[in-house]
Amino acid sequence: MNDTLTLPIALQHATEHLIQSLRATPPFLAYQQAQARLDADAAARTLLDHLAALQAELRRKQTNGEITQADLEDLRALRAQVEANGTIITYINSQQAAVNFLREINQEIGQLLGVDFAVLARQSTC
Amino acid sequence: MHSTDVNQMPLDAARQAARDFAAALAETPQFQAFEGVYEHLRQDAVAQQALEDYRSKADALGALLMLNAVSDAERAELERRKHHYLTLDSVQAYAAAELELTGLCQQTAGLISAAIGVNYAASCGVSCCG
Repeated sequence: MNDTLTLPIALQHATEHLIQSLRATPPFLAYQQAQARLDADAAARTLLDHLAALQAELRRKQTNGEITQADLEDLRALRAQVEANGTIITYINSQQAAVNFLREINQEIGQLLGVDFAVLARQSTC
Repeated sequence: MHSTDVNQMPLDAARQAARDFAAALAETPQFQAFEGVYEHLRQDAVAQQALEDYRSKADALGALLMLNAVSDAERAELERRKHHYLTLDSVQAYAAAELELTGLCQQTAGLISAAIGVNYAASCGVSCCG
């Protein structure tokens, strides 16, 4: 981790310890497992790729006023397939659980600092 | 050991690691400098008045600003008040200290995000657009 060379040693160690601790929690262990299952499931990944491509296409069509009822039905059908895919749903749910715990962690940090760490960590450009 | 204890211990350990992280961040020169200039700015009556002058003008113009229906004179006055505030020494010192601290926080959050596979700032409800 070359970036840690610029951090004070105590902060570097505290960051590494926080990372290891987070990764060892049930929510993040479950998220890692769900991520691995999704990576190994070509059909699920293909479904997500199709959904992302269709959503991008419909956003373009909507900008040009070209979207049709058939387009919306295609989107609904694809979303239904995604919502029926166990690998994908498990991944999404586990990610949300990990995010929820991370928000708790951010609150712990903020209570001690007196400022919201996530706000300070926000990237300055969109 | 009950299954709930097995699950609870790593969660508690992570919360303690978060508190240790916060303590380490609070000890950095960047954070301590930020705390110092923030307090100085808070007690700077001239700066606080300048900020109030700017905000009251912006509030008075309200919806006209959003509709881009403000006269050139009013817009110029608003910009003048904003410029006055932003060029005060205590405000510039605060901005500089905040920039240093945010750089440090972005670096550490980036390391955490890369390691856990979740974007820290985005997950905690903060977008780049606020």
